[in-house]
Amino acid sequence: MEINNIIDYLVKSADFPGKTIKESCKKNNKEAVGCVAPYAPEEIVYAANCIPVGIWGGQVELTKARTYLPAFACSIMQSIMEYEIRGTYDFLKAVLIPAVCDTLKCFGQKWKGTSEAIPFVFPQNREAKSAEAFLESEYKYIKNKLEEILGITITEKALQDSIILYNDYRAEMRKFVEIASVHTDVITPVIRHKIIKSSYFMDKKDYLEYIKELNKKLRLLPANNSKNKRIIVTGIMLEPDGIIEYFEKYGMDIVGDDLTHESRQFRTDAPFSGSALNSLAKRWTNHNACSLAFDPYKERIQYLVDLANHYKADGLVIALMKFCDPEEYDVPLIMERMKKENIPLLVIEIDQQAKSFEQINTRLLSFAENM
Amino acid sequence: MSIINENMTSKEMLDILVNKNMEDARKAKAKGELVCWSSSIAPCEFTETMGICTIYPENYAAVLAAKKIAPEFLEHAERKGYANDICGYARINLGYMDLKKELDEIEFPLPDLVLLCNNICETLLKWYENIAYELNIPLLIVDVPFNHGEEVTEENIKYVEAQLYDLIHQLELICNKPFDMDKFQEVMKIASDNATSWYEATSLCSAVPSPLSGFDMFNYMALIVCMRGKKECGTTFKKLKAELEEKIAKGECGLRGAEEKHRIMWDGIACWPYLSHTYKVLKNKGANMTGSTYPSAWALEYTPGNLYEMAKAYTGMGNNLSLKGQTDLRKEIIKETKCNGVVMHLNRSCKMCDFLQYEIGKELEESMNIPITTFDGDQADPRNYSKAQYETRIEALVEMMEQRAQ
Amino acid sequence: MKDRYYLGVDVGSASSKAVIINQKKEIIKTSVIQMGTGTSGPKSVIDNVFADTGLTLGDIKLTVGTGYGRNSLKFADKQISEISCHAKGINYELKNARTVLDIGGQDVKAISINESGMVLNFYMNDKCAAGTGRFLEVMARILGVKIDELEKLDESSKNPVTVSSTCTVFAESEVISLLSQETKIEDITRGIHNSIVTRALALLYKTNMEEDFTLTGGVAQNKGVIRALERALNKKIYVAKKPQLIGAIGAAIFAYEAGEERG
Repeated sequence: MEINNIIDYLVKSADFPGKTIKESCKKNNKEAVGCVAPYAPEEIVYAANCIPVGIWGGQVELTKARTYLPAFACSIMQSIMEYEIRGTYDFLKAVLIPAVCDTLKCFGQKWKGTSEAIPFVFPQNREAKSAEAFLESEYKYIKNKLEEILGITITEKALQDSIILYNDYRAEMRKFVEIASVHTDVITPVIRHKIIKSSYFMDKKDYLEYIKELNKKLRLLPANNSKNKRIIVTGIMLEPDGIIEYFEKYGMDIVGDDLTHESRQFRTDAPFSGSALNSLAKRWTNHNACSLAFDPYKERIQYLVDLANHYKADGLVIALMKFCDPEEYDVPLIMERMKKENIPLLVIEIDQQAKSFEQINTRLLSFAENM
Repeated sequence: MSIINENMTSKEMLDILVNKNMEDARKAKAKGELVCWSSSIAPCEFTETMGICTIYPENYAAVLAAKKIAPEFLEHAERKGYANDICGYARINLGYMDLKKELDEIEFPLPDLVLLCNNICETLLKWYENIAYELNIPLLIVDVPFNHGEEVTEENIKYVEAQLYDLIHQLELICNKPFDMDKFQEVMKIASDNATSWYEATSLCSAVPSPLSGFDMFNYMALIVCMRGKKECGTTFKKLKAELEEKIAKGECGLRGAEEKHRIMWDGIACWPYLSHTYKVLKNKGANMTGSTYPSAWALEYTPGNLYEMAKAYTGMGNNLSLKGQTDLRKEIIKETKCNGVVMHLNRSCKMCDFLQYEIGKELEESMNIPITTFDGDQADPRNYSKAQYETRIEALVEMMEQRAQ
Repeated sequence: MKDRYYLGVDVGSASSKAVIINQKKEIIKTSVIQMGTGTSGPKSVIDNVFADTGLTLGDIKLTVGTGYGRNSLKFADKQISEISCHAKGINYELKNARTVLDIGGQDVKAISINESGMVLNFYMNDKCAAGTGRFLEVMARILGVKIDELEKLDESSKNPVTVSSTCTVFAESEVISLLSQETKIEDITRGIHNSIVTRALALLYKTNMEEDFTLTGGVAQNKGVIRALERALNKKIYVAKKPQLIGAIGAAIFAYEAGEERG
């Protein structure tokens, strides 16, 4: 396959999630299971012979969601609520909802779709030895629930196979973002975002093949000597696409990210361990420098400095999900540190429902001009 | 020699003790002893055993908000970059910390360590991370996983219990002295007794008329928050109980200068910047707040010495329960304290308090046929409240209560 | 026997309304002044409602005040919240109404009522003004049109846009940027009407949404909003004959009930 065909395919897959999921399910003869926002143990879903589907909201007009959520719930949860009431997710066999923040704690209790909700919780004291055992019990609960709903047995072998596949996928994704950072003429910010996003809607096995092929082809291209500004983005997610288009318009390449929706997903592998569920539990206890995982030393801040240095970035953009507590608390500390490090910083507010981005437009323009 | 005695009223005891607790912390700080900041329903038994002076940012933020001097700190935090939709207590505290960190003697001394237990919300994790990071001090955590199912699971309790043992070890390292198990036993007994005394006194709200207004209970709460590990706390609640029993015998109600015509449950945190307004509007309608989740929130009872039971008490408290658990808790409160209306505080500061409110309200309305109203407010930020809105909604609620009584 | 009269006064944020009824529950006179609490509106509406009736305040047996500025009506015998008054008023006009949506200057409320006009439950908008009459005023100002021109503009919209912002301030900048993109003013108007309805629906869905559905409040005079609501709910909506007066009628009925029952 030509490089352009791979890119086109993945971009289209991201643009039409419903269609992509349906085709992937049909091709592989699998059912789909939803994972609301970050860090669900997708490996368990995959081992249950289902396609894990990422649920991250979208640009939808809110009508019924407001009945169930006050205006100050983050826009991801508002749009997910809207979709679930409309029945958009009813084709899913089940939906996993992690209680990583107060909003998601409540959200897991009030799923309005017809598919069964499986709320679960991550231990936050990840240094405590007992945390792993607790998380294993949560994963066991998820596994049992899926077995019950699907009427199947999830074997240890299937779990181990799925972990191997996912570790391969994560490694390949880390390679992809590295390689993409020197090919920003081909992998523009919008394309980069959509390629990563498309992974949420198809069988990881198929997706991995595309990414491997893409990486191979990209390696053969000469590195581009773009004069564009090199930007790192951090936050929960960078959407709607309208915002990313402004990055391109103003000559800013996204060379690296610390977005929950993107690189944070494949930053941490599941290490080898005697049992599969324990491996998966270790993946969470090893997952650091993230606003959603208790971070008493604020490793995230150092991580951002390291990331900026690694990619020789010209600036950092915080894509701040409006009303997201975990992210909002980190902002003042990141601001202070970046000032010390002399790394230009811009905070933009993310609202998935927004249709016009005049304010963000102006701010990005002046950021690009003044870097 | 205790600074309170049996001849004092419980209110006098309360005032003396709340002041003393903060003064003790200031003295400790001056002497170079350790001061700890703690979340409001964290296991105080451990720092108490170690003799670490422990004070409570949530309580102090409420005090500043009630005194109407919070905006200075709120605005300072916002200037530093904290979004204005972050918890008001956290903004006040982080603003205060930043404004005062260069000063020598301050009213609420800065900590040498912090202790948090997320049984009330996840926001604490981020808030305390920031304190620890900014002051470069140890952060102790008892992580209490949310009970998303109907049961408090064995695994949850065991995880929490294991952390309690970790906590002992961490404190030994920080204090560089062994943890005194005998003293611990004693403290656990006091804390557990105090929890019982608190519950026994505040649950007298179930009498008709109720001898205690929930708004007065909000004031007594300072003590169960700040001094649950100290004997004087229990003495005060025993005294309060005796006073309330006397009022019950005389048929007196807890509203000052008004007759109790209606009994409501207050769902959520107090609206501290407008405490007196929220109280008076209700009082003028003869509505007494008899129900709230607070009496049971600190009813952390366990057998002293049994850390498994202690873990279960901390992880099984009301805020940490599933939707069904939280709804059942409220049904129980409404029945126990004989409420005929519910006021729900849609608190801009607290997502955990708000995001299940609609579902809880629907269920209460449907299964108990009880009228409900909500109002916009904030536990600490005065900008998020409107007097006129509150008045209208309370009036409408009372009208609904009256119509149903006919 | 001498006639007995009752007065209901509704002092809102943007207008004042008064209604006189007699002991047969017949409406004798009504008055609306487009000035609300804190202005001369409340005084004028009283002067107005008595004009040409041959009656004075002294002939009124009982007065009930309601609305945002009800506490400023010193002569009222009783104050009753606008929620109860709306329920009562709509019950007077339309016995079958069970769900009432009231879009006023400052507030949007969805009220469920029973057959005798008793409030079963109610939901109101949050502190933000989006979706209220005030919101419409702000938007009309930005569009540079009069508020009563909006329904006409709405009629000729072919490609309505979406106004998605949840807050008046943001909606303002959203509309400004739509104008700068040369979006047709008709289409923006329709978008604004739709957005008001979207917000109201969130409250409406909280009630049990009984079949007989009524719209009241000042904004109900705008046919653009009515049509938007009908499109969204896909059913015919009963609009109160004098939507702005419902609260005052309810207050007058309450006065009547208190007066006649007392004898």
